[in-house]
Amino acid sequence: MNSLTETKRRPTDWQGPDMQKRIARRYAAERRFKAMGMGAIMLSAGFLAFLLVVMVGNGFRGFTQTELPLEIDFPAVTGGASPSQFEGPNANANLQVMGLREIVDSSIEIQYGQNGTNLFSPGGWTAVNAMILNDPKIVERKATVYLPVISDIDVAYKDEGNAEAEQKVRELGDQLSTGFNWNFLSNSDATDPMQVGIWGAFKGSLITMIVTLLLAFPVGVFAALYLEEYAPKNRLTDLIEVSINNLAAVPSIIFGLLGLAVFLNFFGMPRSGALVGGLTLALMTMPVIVITGRNAVKSVPPSIREAALGIGASPLQVVFHHVLPLALPGILTGTIIGMARALGETAPLLMIGMRAFIATPPSGITDPATVLPVQIFLWSDEVDRGFVEKTSAAIIILLLFLLTMNALAIYLRNRFETRW
Amino acid sequence: MTSATLLFLVIGLGLVAWFFGRLKASGMQTAGKSSRSALHSLPNYHGWYVALWAIIPATIFMMVWSFVSPALITDAALTSPAAAGMPQDAFSRAAILSEARAIAYGNQVNAFNPLSQSMVEPYRDAITYYQMIGAIAALLMVFACGVYAWLQIKPDLRARTKIERVTMFVLLLASLIAIVTTVGIFLSLVFESARFFSMVSPIDFLFGTEWNPKAVAGPRGETGFGAIPLFWGTVFIGAIIAMIVAIPLGLLSAIYLTQYAPAKFRAWMKPILEVLAGVPTVVYGYFAALTVAPALRDFAVSIGISGASSESALAAGVVMGIMIIPFVSSMADDSIAAVPSAMRDGSLAMGATHSETIKKVLIPAALPGVVGGVLLAVSRAIGETMIVVMAAGLAANMTANPFSSVTTVTTQIVQLLTGDQEFDSPKTLAAFALGLVLFIVTLLLNLIALRVVKKYREAYE
Repeated sequence: MNSLTETKRRPTDWQGPDMQKRIARRYAAERRFKAMGMGAIMLSAGFLAFLLVVMVGNGFRGFTQTELPLEIDFPAVTGGASPSQFEGPNANANLQVMGLREIVDSSIEIQYGQNGTNLFSPGGWTAVNAMILNDPKIVERKATVYLPVISDIDVAYKDEGNAEAEQKVRELGDQLSTGFNWNFLSNSDATDPMQVGIWGAFKGSLITMIVTLLLAFPVGVFAALYLEEYAPKNRLTDLIEVSINNLAAVPSIIFGLLGLAVFLNFFGMPRSGALVGGLTLALMTMPVIVITGRNAVKSVPPSIREAALGIGASPLQVVFHHVLPLALPGILTGTIIGMARALGETAPLLMIGMRAFIATPPSGITDPATVLPVQIFLWSDEVDRGFVEKTSAAIIILLLFLLTMNALAIYLRNRFETRW
Repeated sequence: MTSATLLFLVIGLGLVAWFFGRLKASGMQTAGKSSRSALHSLPNYHGWYVALWAIIPATIFMMVWSFVSPALITDAALTSPAAAGMPQDAFSRAAILSEARAIAYGNQVNAFNPLSQSMVEPYRDAITYYQMIGAIAALLMVFACGVYAWLQIKPDLRARTKIERVTMFVLLLASLIAIVTTVGIFLSLVFESARFFSMVSPIDFLFGTEWNPKAVAGPRGETGFGAIPLFWGTVFIGAIIAMIVAIPLGLLSAIYLTQYAPAKFRAWMKPILEVLAGVPTVVYGYFAALTVAPALRDFAVSIGISGASSESALAAGVVMGIMIIPFVSSMADDSIAAVPSAMRDGSLAMGATHSETIKKVLIPAALPGVVGGVLLAVSRAIGETMIVVMAAGLAANMTANPFSSVTTVTTQIVQLLTGDQEFDSPKTLAAFALGLVLFIVTLLLNLIALRVVKKYREAYE
């Protein structure tokens, strides 16, 4: 009986109002779902854009500085110094003997009154020093130089500062101007935000990256070649593979703890140096290079190996003469990506003491150094408002550096990608 | 002569040895062409054979010497007449010696203790003396071994086989570094944690609810090392708030990009989303602390939430969640792509809409892969340092209010280990115990995630 009622059931009425409503509802759900997906992407990309806009908005002001003109009547204040004194190797010493700082201060007092020196950044006179060294003839005439003002006035002029500084800005009025802050590119860390620069941190980053690359690249490539081409299937190989995969996922701060316990406390290497930083980052980067390197080696077709073996090459010659050159673009891409990660890393370097205040750029791998991300972290902790824009400006430099590296990786991948 | 210059000298001499080895072998090769005794290996291999013989034993000697010589140098310095006035107490002797050593090596300029200044001269003499002995011995070894290998060059010397054996050994050594690192991490964490647990009971550490290492009572009576608030803070930020942000956004992005997006849109959007993972975490931390946190606090105050802090769990968690989006989305992307298209086509053929197919067929089929991706993301989030250091605060609160300040394991590690601290206080060692917990937890999460992903992959093969 049951089957009879079923056969009697009328066919679905697709055109009926109920069904139409149901279909409309399902289509609406479909559209909603699609919009949600689109929304998720837009939200993520929007956040990225927001972050970049905020950083660039804050940061571009870090590349400029507020300046006041200062007229220096060199023949009068120096008592008739001749340009020849400031040429050759003794120039700097002669300037020091002459007391350039006092000369600049007295010129400031002539032009801006007793308290005039409070307007200018304490280290600003070094600009005059550089100017004389650059062009000694300047001491024969009157010259107008633009010197950076103190941080409070700088902040007040560009944005909104404290009441006192705003008052000063109104008083000085048209005299204030902004100029490009060359010091920011050539100086190192300092206590005065008007004098800080990123060169020291940049150089520290560069040296650390070189150490990292020199250690991680050969080790990573060799390990990848061994595991992919020669490793027998046994316990040891399994152990190596498990360790590499684990290392790739270990939190970076743990590598910092390793560096602290092993390199600093056990081997007694110098603290804060690029050597220990590079070693620590190399251990972190190596697994990334091994994993991408293995994929690159795996994608070289076996026919190439067989052909080389067939004409009498030894297994090592096969790999070093044929497989490695073909896999190299892929390995390089992975290396650049790993290096980019290492470049942005902060936490492990804090552990090994690279957060010290370092005012001179490092000149060797054992000198105390700091790196760009750590410099950003240190400046972000500063109370002085002048450091906000400097931090963002340093972030812009770091991001530019990273984007260049990533773009290079993408270019290499597209340029050398081979479909076998 | 410093060890670096010596090393460069040895390598330089090795290259000279390479040249002579090659010269001799290529002479034999030209001679062998007329007679019948052909060379077994190419001249280059003979060159490398001599060079390796010249470099490797000397380098090994230098490494051993750098471990042995400090003890010899100290002994020599102690037998010098200047050492007569040294105190008998072993501890102050060691302090004076280490200061003198630092000055002698040029790591330190002035001595705090006048006695160490008098020890500098004998120390310097001893260093020069033993460095010279080391250098002469190393150079002698270079010559002796190089000449030995050079004399060995004969037409039937299997130079290539030997070189290849050495190269193979180097390749194996490179792979073993991964194991050494893992063991190094584990041992250093366990060793330092053991010292910590000899001072603080592990039970108090793991189950205590008061974290206040600044107010340590003293030897044996240590309190304030209860890590539960840190574990809660870590889970709250990394596994709860960050995932509430990352899972829906990451999953929906992956679905849209794999199922709906035109190829061109996908080709642009995917790298853009991946940039989110490439931005350094210190930048996110700065952004969270400078922009997100104040905005969230103002918002909380405006809707009347009390106890809103400028360093909030929410700010750190949201920003971390956004950083994690690419991990979730690429894992989801992979596992959705791995679902056989027959299943999708079947569902569509039955009249299901796209979204119904995704919700009822693709997601359930891809679920293990997605879960694995989420676990990996959680493990990354709880190990993340800079965002929480800069935006989450230092107060060890056990609160579920996202607008209040909490602290995490990684933040506390940074706090405990920065600044000058002696290395035997429980305060410093606590960082290693926290590191050990972090290491074990992330390891377990990763292993589980990989297991889940692997199991799922087998289902369709």
